Amino acid sequence: MRSIFAVNLHSPRGMIEVESLTKLYDEFPAVTDLTFTVRPSEVMGLVGPNGAGKTTTLRCLAGIIPATRGRVRIAGEDLASHSIAAKRQLAFFSDEPRLFDYLTVWQHLVFTARIYQVADSIETGRRLLEELEMADKVDLLPGELSRGMKQKLAIACGLLHSPKVIFFDEPLTGLDPVGIRRMKDSILKRAREGAAIIISSHLLHLLEEICSHVLILKSGIKVIDGTMGEILQKFSEQSRDANLEDVFFRATGEARGNR
Amino acid sequence: MIGALLYLQVQSLRNRLRVRVRRLKKPKYLAGALVGAAYCYFFFFRNLLAGRRGAALVEYNSAPETMALFELLGALVLLVMVLSAWFFPHERAALVFSEAEMAFLFPAPVTRKTLIHFKLLRSQAAILLTTLLLTLVTRRFGGGGTAWIRAAGWWVVLSTLNLHTLGASFARTRLLEHGISNWRRRIIVLSGAALLLLAALLWLHHTIRPPEASDLESLKAIKYYVRRTLESGPAAYVLFPFRLVVRPYLAPDGGAFLLAVVPALALLLAHYFWAARSDVAFEEASLALAQKRAEIVASVRAGHWHGAAAKKTKKRAPFGLRSTGSPAVAFLWKNLISAGQAFSLRTWLFLAFFAICVGGPIGATQHGHGWVMPTVGIVTAILGAYSLFLGPAILRQDLRQDLANADVLKMYPLRGWQVVLGELLAPAAILTGVQWCLLLLSVTMFSRLPEGDTIPLANRLSIGAGAAIIAPMLNLISLVIPNASVLLFPAWVQIGREHVGGIEVIGQRLIFMLGSVLVFAFALLPAGVLFGLVFFLANLFVGVIVAVPLAAAVATTVLAAEAILAIWWMGRLFERFDVSAEPAA
Repeated sequence: MRSIFAVNLHSPRGMIEVESLTKLYDEFPAVTDLTFTVRPSEVMGLVGPNGAGKTTTLRCLAGIIPATRGRVRIAGEDLASHSIAAKRQLAFFSDEPRLFDYLTVWQHLVFTARIYQVADSIETGRRLLEELEMADKVDLLPGELSRGMKQKLAIACGLLHSPKVIFFDEPLTGLDPVGIRRMKDSILKRAREGAAIIISSHLLHLLEEICSHVLILKSGIKVIDGTMGEILQKFSEQSRDANLEDVFFRATGEARGNR
Repeated sequence: MIGALLYLQVQSLRNRLRVRVRRLKKPKYLAGALVGAAYCYFFFFRNLLAGRRGAALVEYNSAPETMALFELLGALVLLVMVLSAWFFPHERAALVFSEAEMAFLFPAPVTRKTLIHFKLLRSQAAILLTTLLLTLVTRRFGGGGTAWIRAAGWWVVLSTLNLHTLGASFARTRLLEHGISNWRRRIIVLSGAALLLLAALLWLHHTIRPPEASDLESLKAIKYYVRRTLESGPAAYVLFPFRLVVRPYLAPDGGAFLLAVVPALALLLAHYFWAARSDVAFEEASLALAQKRAEIVASVRAGHWHGAAAKKTKKRAPFGLRSTGSPAVAFLWKNLISAGQAFSLRTWLFLAFFAICVGGPIGATQHGHGWVMPTVGIVTAILGAYSLFLGPAILRQDLRQDLANADVLKMYPLRGWQVVLGELLAPAAILTGVQWCLLLLSVTMFSRLPEGDTIPLANRLSIGAGAAIIAPMLNLISLVIPNASVLLFPAWVQIGREHVGGIEVIGQRLIFMLGSVLVFAFALLPAGVLFGLVFFLANLFVGVIVAVPLAAAVATTVLAAEAILAIWWMGRLFERFDVSAEPAA
């Protein structure tokens, strides 16, 4: 087990339950018949080549785009029939932070607090900004922030309502080494606090450090999933000391030379 | 090398056209293209093909005095444009390249001169298109004359101006390199222009004479005086080269055109050599310009059409937002911040105070006949009515702005109707505020009719109250239409994901505008009928003073019911709105 925290493998119920999720764009199947479960405190890495359907999967799970078929339950709430209750429990962070150009950092938190009805928003907001080292930036507009700072602001907004389920789509894109380290720490902290997390990323060595589980997608179809240990062990039978990168290339049939 | 650059231009144009033709397979573009083509035919090309209107105007325009005056005025406009090119700009010479062109061309073994030629070549595409449009428009609005002469004339004017602007930018940069600052250059240009003007005025004073009443008594007299002034003395010498550039456009026939075009082309060629042989470093400034343009494009693609070029500044919140309560209010709060500080409570209170404290006494103290008060009253009433139609087009702090962030909105734990209601509130509130202020002004100042008959205060208050009651719901309905259209036809409405143009988009907008007017009229019909009925009955029993607000209240109830239904339906649309299927090119 390479994960640095205890994984709750025996929790009776998943925080994210996905059954036969399928998403078609017109006739094109972006995701086909995807089934998996993520329990509290688990961090699942969603891995696959470009165009494998990772972002589509995450957007379906976050309720941003409707699934064509299948069922998604977030913290026990069906995303299709009880979307409001399900969405109250989740946060989604896209690779490109989406912010309102004309709201300052603090105004973003005030707005988000009203949308999610966060009663103690002032205290929580201040704490989050302190934690993310943005306390001195409350009056700045997104246009005055660096990319990393924008991402931090998006995270502060997403974490304001203490979500139980968190989706990260390429969370480390554009961050400097310090930012990457802090992001990793932040993800692990949320997992330790009981959140179920899915991360989509191409940075396999980083996923190997923070994920307890892995799901590999190719052309919208699940190739393999399981705990990090199980998967590495399975591929170690063919070669010693296999890492996630080896697993990725073998599982997806991609040639290393094409990198 | 220029062959490769030509290849880039031709292939880009070809592929752009192919994309345009391919998207005609989609009904929305095909319908738009048909309507757009019909519009262009009936508005522009019919006259060009039939030649009737143009032929009728040839005779008038061919009058030598009129032609000479047009030539002088055209030359004067060109002179102002040329002076502007030397006076206003403050930045170094920068050629407009796209980021891709810079990435490919700047590191490539391409000389600076080749890059200038590429730029000139590319600007010709825009000049030819502008030439076509200007030829059509000037003929449509009375330009008259032979089409090819007008087109060639426009081409000469635009090309010369383009080359001069480029050459001036190089010359300005060279002046900067020689230590002549922008302000020093401006002082020199301004002094030169002032000297010329002074010389022309002195000449006018001593040789002709200042204008007298007889020179201004008719259009013909004014034209004669202006022509005499510009055709003699220093003005004639200054305007001479500019007249050469304008002359081909105004040529009445082919022979005159050929005679006029030779000196104009000589000037054009001189400009070409001047610009092409300038060896000024423009790369760094071009990089900065490309970056600026890319930021604007990114901003536009993110849906911020109006604020794309402007630097954003922090805006004060219109009111304190608590963390609990209706989420729709959060959207009102957010979008009022987006609209700017002009729409704060303080502004509304000031305007209302102004209307009552200034308009009231003025309205009360006016006596006898006069047109000022009635005009103010009529103008404010017209502005109020216009705001119903123009307001939703100007104020876009709603779904049209935020749908570019649809994935964020979709993530919120809110019902669709809550999002839609919230999004509609800010523009509706602003429009209502504007209309109420106009109403206050109208009620206080519109105390008399033009004939002098007084309008009793009670009547004014009654009509004002009726309008004030009905205004919010009218605004909501007028805003529902474009916002529902965004959800129903995201590809037809400008929400900023992709900037599309062309004849099909003109057609789409025409269809859209017509549809909006029809839907608005249809939505008003039941309320209008009920208003009339209630007003008629109430007027019989309780009089007009009570009848107007009463009928307005009933009509407002009907409109409110329609708005509730529309918002609920739009909420369903928003919940089903598939951001992955949207939009559009």
